Amino acid sequence: MTLSTPRTPSTTIRRAGVAVLTAGVFVLAGCTASSSPLPGGSAAPTTTAPTPGGTLTFARTQSPTSLDLHTQITANNAFAIDKIFEPLLSFDAQGEIEPWLASEYSSSEDGLVWTFTLRPGVQFSTGDAVTPEDVVYSLNRHLEVGGPLPLHAPITSIEASGTDTVVITLSEAYTPFAAELAGFSNGILPAGLGGVDEETFFKDPVGTGPFVVDSWTEGGDISFTKNEHYWQDGKPYLDAVVYSLVQDDNQLVAQLQSGQVDVIDTVASANVATLESNASLTVSTTPSWVVEEVFFNTLDEHFADRDVRRAVSYALDREGIVAATSFGTAEVAGSVLPPSIPGYDASIDSLSYDVDAAKAAIAASAYPEGFTTTLLVASGNSLRAQEAQIIQAQLAEIGITVEIESIDLAAFRERFRAFDFSFMINSATSDVADPNGIVTFQADPAGGTNGYWTHYDNPEVTALIAQGRTLPDGADRTAVYSQIQAMIAADAPFIPLSYPSNIKAAQATVQGLTVLPNGSVRLQDTWLTR
Amino acid sequence: MTGSLRWLRRTALRVVPVVTGVVLATFFLLRLVPGGPAAAVLGDQATDEAVAALEAQMGLDQPLGAQLWSYVSGVVLHGDVGTSLIYNVPTSELIAGRVGVTLSIVALAALGTLLLVVPLAFAAALHKDGVIDHVIRVVPAIGLAMPTFWIGLLLIVVFAVNLGWLPAGGSDGVRSLVLPAAAIAISMTPVLVRTLRAQLLEVLDADFVAALTAAGLPRRRVLAHVLRNAALPTLTLFGLNIAYMIGGTLVIERVFALNGLGALMFESISNRDFPVVQGVALFCAVAVVAVTVATDFLVDRLDPRSRLS
Repeated sequence: MTLSTPRTPSTTIRRAGVAVLTAGVFVLAGCTASSSPLPGGSAAPTTTAPTPGGTLTFARTQSPTSLDLHTQITANNAFAIDKIFEPLLSFDAQGEIEPWLASEYSSSEDGLVWTFTLRPGVQFSTGDAVTPEDVVYSLNRHLEVGGPLPLHAPITSIEASGTDTVVITLSEAYTPFAAELAGFSNGILPAGLGGVDEETFFKDPVGTGPFVVDSWTEGGDISFTKNEHYWQDGKPYLDAVVYSLVQDDNQLVAQLQSGQVDVIDTVASANVATLESNASLTVSTTPSWVVEEVFFNTLDEHFADRDVRRAVSYALDREGIVAATSFGTAEVAGSVLPPSIPGYDASIDSLSYDVDAAKAAIAASAYPEGFTTTLLVASGNSLRAQEAQIIQAQLAEIGITVEIESIDLAAFRERFRAFDFSFMINSATSDVADPNGIVTFQADPAGGTNGYWTHYDNPEVTALIAQGRTLPDGADRTAVYSQIQAMIAADAPFIPLSYPSNIKAAQATVQGLTVLPNGSVRLQDTWLTR
Repeated sequence: MTGSLRWLRRTALRVVPVVTGVVLATFFLLRLVPGGPAAAVLGDQATDEAVAALEAQMGLDQPLGAQLWSYVSGVVLHGDVGTSLIYNVPTSELIAGRVGVTLSIVALAALGTLLLVVPLAFAAALHKDGVIDHVIRVVPAIGLAMPTFWIGLLLIVVFAVNLGWLPAGGSDGVRSLVLPAAAIAISMTPVLVRTLRAQLLEVLDADFVAALTAAGLPRRRVLAHVLRNAALPTLTLFGLNIAYMIGGTLVIERVFALNGLGALMFESISNRDFPVVQGVALFCAVAVVAVTVATDFLVDRLDPRSRLS
């Protein structure tokens, strides 16, 4: 998981997976979890047989910089990589883990030994069959490289067994392992990179995914052609996909409206209504793994005080903020986990809007008369700017004077990494379909980022997080995560503001656009009507 | 011969300080700004160790002096402007891939500006103080009053979204360059029209015009002589404008989602891709100096007085 700033360069950090229902066609309407209307051809019934052929032009705000799945994390790379490489397991539009290159998997009673059976007949784009040795090589390379999305599971060995089996042994039980393996960075590549050097391989990579790189201009467009050896019968339907680089929100909308592109990857929430009113376009709004949050530096003189943080939480009218900024595309947040992650608990006390409680909390704090502080935000993001202004106004009610400091994204990152801030607005994104990812990064001091740059450290929470990793899936584990969510909300090291949606817009001729909760799109299911 | 030697020396005196200044300024300014490329690659969740490791791999853990030396020596000794930290390909390759778009816009905008300026200035000058003159002096000023990106957005709304005549942006051949070039031309035109008009009026009053007219030279040929004599100050100004356009396409490329040097510069600044920012800045500096030098050369050649000497 990750702090990210949507719609600004190189920031949205999401783990992509390939993923979804092997059975049947999943049309746009089918994966639209919210009630957004789907005018025009988008309502195409699932019974319509997909038409093969055609090129899909997909406008994205950033071009890929590298296709090395083990060294990359940002969406511009992840969502190109996940078209080329596929992991053993995947997750669907609802975030459910499902078998992918492995047709079956199981773990031993004690959770230490995981056995994966390769799906018969899976080939690389070269036509070579995928073997257990390829899997061993791929996962070992990931372990060696580490990278920004390392395998956190305590792996002691990865072994090929027979012609179609891989056995992975852990030193202790690690329940999120399946979810972790479903991430794009655990895609399978040919052992030894098929005999070429790294640089050559990742310019024209070989994987099992539905598409292969056709041409790629660094810093420009990248185009893919269909993988003729793809293992899903008849798929991909498209002959080719072009990721067209369009670095501006207004341009995305204009090029979609004028028919130059088929799909746009991000839609500013302010533009949703305009696009929805256009009968030749469809807008898809689906749940994401993103949480928009206020983060406190708990080393800050004021925000080190738990009562101050609780007062801020009570003072923020999150419903008002969400209504004013999201144009109906986001949900009001309470928990640090988004509803799309298993274990999300809507019933916890999230210290929601209550001015009297806010005043009581600030009165009980070390700063009953209030204080002056600075809210740090990254510039170039109108959503954040609006949120900051509302927060400023609402905190004035309890005597906290907020100055807003808006700086460019790279400088913003440097500031929070150095803990040179009081509080800030940012977002966090889960990389996995498991609650462990988010709570580890945000609340476990050993999670690598000092509680996501908050310095949050509650030993009781840390102990529960460790417990959650080893407990098998079930009611006990769910109860642990409920407890974690409630304790974090009570300590308020961060205040979840909203759960934004993944918003995509497409021509009505585009069918079967499966949007995954990490923001990626499963293009093997997509086809075009003429 | 001494003339060309003098010219060479004068040119070198202009080129060297400007280019050196740009190189040093971009190098140090970039490193004064907080933020680095490793955090952009690895994202916000990256541990400090991971960021430090990648920065070391990128050579950013070296002392500033060593980094400057490796950059300057690369440029001077090998003509190498470095390798992109984000894309891991030579900066020159990235620039070469983008320069076509930018230069095409500049060329098209320059052509469009000329096609607008000359007829408008003549029309205004020949109808001095008439209705046409007033309209030509006032209406283009609207272009001056509006920011270029705003003109761009208006053109997109009218010609791409509503009329559907031209693409809203993107790299769709020459057609996709028409609107951005028009946006620039519209904002360049007003000042040039006024300058040329004033010069034309001055020259139209000159004795040689009366003499040529009296000698029975056809009106068109007389006007050709007028233009030639009136064009020099405008040409200098035009050259400066072209130089300005090279840097100024940054904004317009963004508005029209054109993948040119401006877009590359913008992205590289956001990502703190130091070698690319330095490379583009260096390229622009050289291009701007080249255009101004070429303009001076041209003005020199066109000026009858300098030909005599």
